[in-house]
Amino acid sequence: MTILESPGGTGASDHVPEEHAGEGSGVFGWIATVDHKRLGILYLLTAFFFFGVGGIEALLIRIQLSHPGLKFIGPDTYNQIFTMHGTTMIFLVVMPTLVGFANYLVPLMIGARDMAFPRLNAMSYWLFPFGGLLLHFSLFTGGAPATGWFSYAPLSETPYSSTMGTDYWALALLVLGIGSVAGAINIIVTVVTLRAPGLTIRRLPLFVWMTFITAFLIILALPVLNAALVMLLVDRQLDAHIFTAHGGGSAILWQHFFWTFGHPEVYIMALPAFGMISEIIPVFSRKPIFGYEFVAGSTLAIAVLSFGVWAHHMFAAGLGHRADLAFAAGSMLIAVPTGVKIFNWIATMWGGSLRFTTAMLFAVGFLLEFVIGGLSGVQFASAPVDWQLTDSYYVVAHFHYVLFGGTAFAVMAGTYYWFPKMTGRLLSERAGRWHFWLTVIGFNLTFFVQHLLGKMGMPRRVYTYPDLPNWGALNGLSTIGSFIMAISVVVFFANIVWSLRRGEKAGDNPWQAWTLEWATTSPPAHDNFDRVPPVRGRRPLWDLDDENKEKPTGAITELKTYDPGVVAMWGFIASEAFFFAILIITYVFFNLDKRAAASHLDLKMTGIFTACLFASSFTLVLSERALAAGKNAAMRTWLALTIVLGGVFIGGQANEYRSLIGSGMGASTSLFATTFFTLTGFHGIHVTLGLIALGVLLGLAVAGDFAKKKHSSAFKALGMYWHFVDVVWVVVFSVVYIRSLT
Amino acid sequence: MMKGRPVVFVLAMITLAIALLSPLATLARGVLFSAHMLQHLLLVLVVPPLVLLSLPHDPPGETRSGAWLRWIPSWGLGVGAMWLWHTPTLCDAASTSVGMLRAQTVSLLVMGTAFFWPIFGPRAAQRLTTFGAMAYLFTACAVCTVLGIAITFSPVEVCSVFAHPSPARDALGLTAKSDQEIGGLLMWVPGCLIYASCIVAMYGRYARAERLERPRTQGEAR
Repeated sequence: MTILESPGGTGASDHVPEEHAGEGSGVFGWIATVDHKRLGILYLLTAFFFFGVGGIEALLIRIQLSHPGLKFIGPDTYNQIFTMHGTTMIFLVVMPTLVGFANYLVPLMIGARDMAFPRLNAMSYWLFPFGGLLLHFSLFTGGAPATGWFSYAPLSETPYSSTMGTDYWALALLVLGIGSVAGAINIIVTVVTLRAPGLTIRRLPLFVWMTFITAFLIILALPVLNAALVMLLVDRQLDAHIFTAHGGGSAILWQHFFWTFGHPEVYIMALPAFGMISEIIPVFSRKPIFGYEFVAGSTLAIAVLSFGVWAHHMFAAGLGHRADLAFAAGSMLIAVPTGVKIFNWIATMWGGSLRFTTAMLFAVGFLLEFVIGGLSGVQFASAPVDWQLTDSYYVVAHFHYVLFGGTAFAVMAGTYYWFPKMTGRLLSERAGRWHFWLTVIGFNLTFFVQHLLGKMGMPRRVYTYPDLPNWGALNGLSTIGSFIMAISVVVFFANIVWSLRRGEKAGDNPWQAWTLEWATTSPPAHDNFDRVPPVRGRRPLWDLDDENKEKPTGAITELKTYDPGVVAMWGFIASEAFFFAILIITYVFFNLDKRAAASHLDLKMTGIFTACLFASSFTLVLSERALAAGKNAAMRTWLALTIVLGGVFIGGQANEYRSLIGSGMGASTSLFATTFFTLTGFHGIHVTLGLIALGVLLGLAVAGDFAKKKHSSAFKALGMYWHFVDVVWVVVFSVVYIRSLT
Repeated sequence: MMKGRPVVFVLAMITLAIALLSPLATLARGVLFSAHMLQHLLLVLVVPPLVLLSLPHDPPGETRSGAWLRWIPSWGLGVGAMWLWHTPTLCDAASTSVGMLRAQTVSLLVMGTAFFWPIFGPRAAQRLTTFGAMAYLFTACAVCTVLGIAITFSPVEVCSVFAHPSPARDALGLTAKSDQEIGGLLMWVPGCLIYASCIVAMYGRYARAERLERPRTQGEAR
């Protein structure tokens, strides 16, 4: 490929070392890239762009609220703006920023050349701007979504939100969700299979560990949202009533599904930030992290608990006194592992020789601001406090302290810390200090007063407010603060642009840090490392240092090897299992009365097709065995038979659909029909996709392009998928057919 | 071989006594569904792991990975203990017939032990890998959560025995519905918390194993 250097074309391209030439430089090189470092930077730049968009929306909100009774923005537009602000900041800024850092840093920190699946990585990235475009395309279809970032039903249903805004919102989130799951699977496989020799799980840098845990949260939580979004779209596009009370649906079900996703989501947005802090504070305190095991273990505790406490978002929905009590207790518990971390970070700084670089300033700022957000969060775990303060500005203050005071401060710290690695130049410390202090002042001025406004009873999501004592003054202060924050962002941006060209040269390891990413050049060459240093402990670069008296003692443990395809498929299956679980739960919830199913379904016919599907699992196993034994003809025959049996099942399902639709049943005729078609339809789609993939394998086998070594991993992974689809059908068949027809 | 832990064993026996000999057992016998659920959870999720933890253990050692398939039956037993005895017929039978009640108690203890054997069992070779154990516990937790939610919000009685008029329940200010709600929530929140704690304990054991290894590798390095 030719070398096309175009300085200033995109971001950091003028620092691209020659090694990058291999995959093309210039704008096309960036578009076509599968390099984890470039994709990471693309994530960060795109997220920064959307940060600007979401930030301008925030300023519009603050201008409108700066004075009581203002008519700067009307109520409808205001609803759209706060919805877009929330959705943008969560799905287009915070999540992609953290994924961007993970993309850039995880392979470097574990001594790998790239992510496990570079092309999948590129797909995950490109789904992100695509999702952002879909969301904003709603503006051209009659208005942006206006139902808030959690889009409660029934407000999100057609009778109350008649524009296409909510449909685009749901589609965009689906696209982003698929991208996130693919990215998370990639991170898991990378960490499991590509660590350098000696880098056992116990020696992982905490950022990698926390990103790893977050990836599990993503693959398990996002499919719950995806399933709910699919059902919302079924409601809106096919006139069904899953989430509307008329027609027998349940609006509260949406809240359950949304927060089953939504609470882990809070930690998806927080844990990688904790990871950054856990890297930065030790380096600038010149001390190893205090209590590594506790930081790592408490992360695990948070992740597990996060799936069990979603109902505390629904105290005001009327779950009943006893449920409120149980979830209040559960939610307070989750503060314990978070508190453990705070003390670990403080103890790390204790007695260290602190260097207050801008990165460290932001890390310390994080500690203070996040504790404020955490404390107001614990208050919400108490149901009576929640009833009093929910949907007030106290909530707004709380989650901004968590997401801006917490995550955004950590991301700023991370940016100052890793920018030299990404670009080869340091960010200006002088501008950095301006940036930091403007952020601290602006942020606290904007959001601290909102605690007071909330306690005074100012509701969130209302476009204006009456001229009550002090409300105008406090809101005015908040607006002034938001503009100071805006200035700080401009300073930050200017600092990046200036430092890219004029910044001090960084060298390989400007902070004397000890994780592997600092062992290579800044920016790293295309293949990351010439040679990965030996890893005998948690701080491999310290171990290399001759001055260091404590010589490394750990062994360079040989790591177990895993098949990347198999690990990835396990991740995908776990994710899909949660997706189907939600659809199955919905089906059961609406079909406790079995009569509808009993009067429509035919157990005997479906039983025959089901037998075919189960048989296809066995023929696939036989095919796999034949491949292992080198009997190619037998392999092809069994594979073909598998496809035929799967085809018979799909044909049978199509026939069943035909007769049901012929008898007047449609997607919206009853809740039974809606949930039946949604559940079996999605299963059918999965079978069809499996058949296509099996067909591709068979095609390759017939064409002779089927080396045992090259494809056995793909074969194995596809086999797992096919068995999984069968297992799902075991559950669907039992729940839908056997349960109602016996 | 590591020594047994008598204190843990005593704790297990105290828990067993609370479950079977205290007023809790009386209330569980057809009076309060929530008391029944507490007893159920103690018998499946508390007594067996404590007993297993009290036994003399192999030192932490190599576990064969890839052997997870053989633990599907014990996973099924542990999860089945929750679902099976909460099918309306069996739940009613256990609350009315003494024979069934005994069968229930014994089977819960057996099923709980089978479930926790690959987690806290005394034989290192028969333990799941750390990650395998976490997945084992997490999936069990997810399935129990679903049952807990179903019991909490179910409009129908899980055990009709507990729906009969009961002065004891009235004295506590509970209705049949709120009693069942508490039962469901007990399974949902504290039940899940036990699995979650075990997951964190798995990490703890993994981290500790490193510290035990350290002197050995130091020797190797020289």
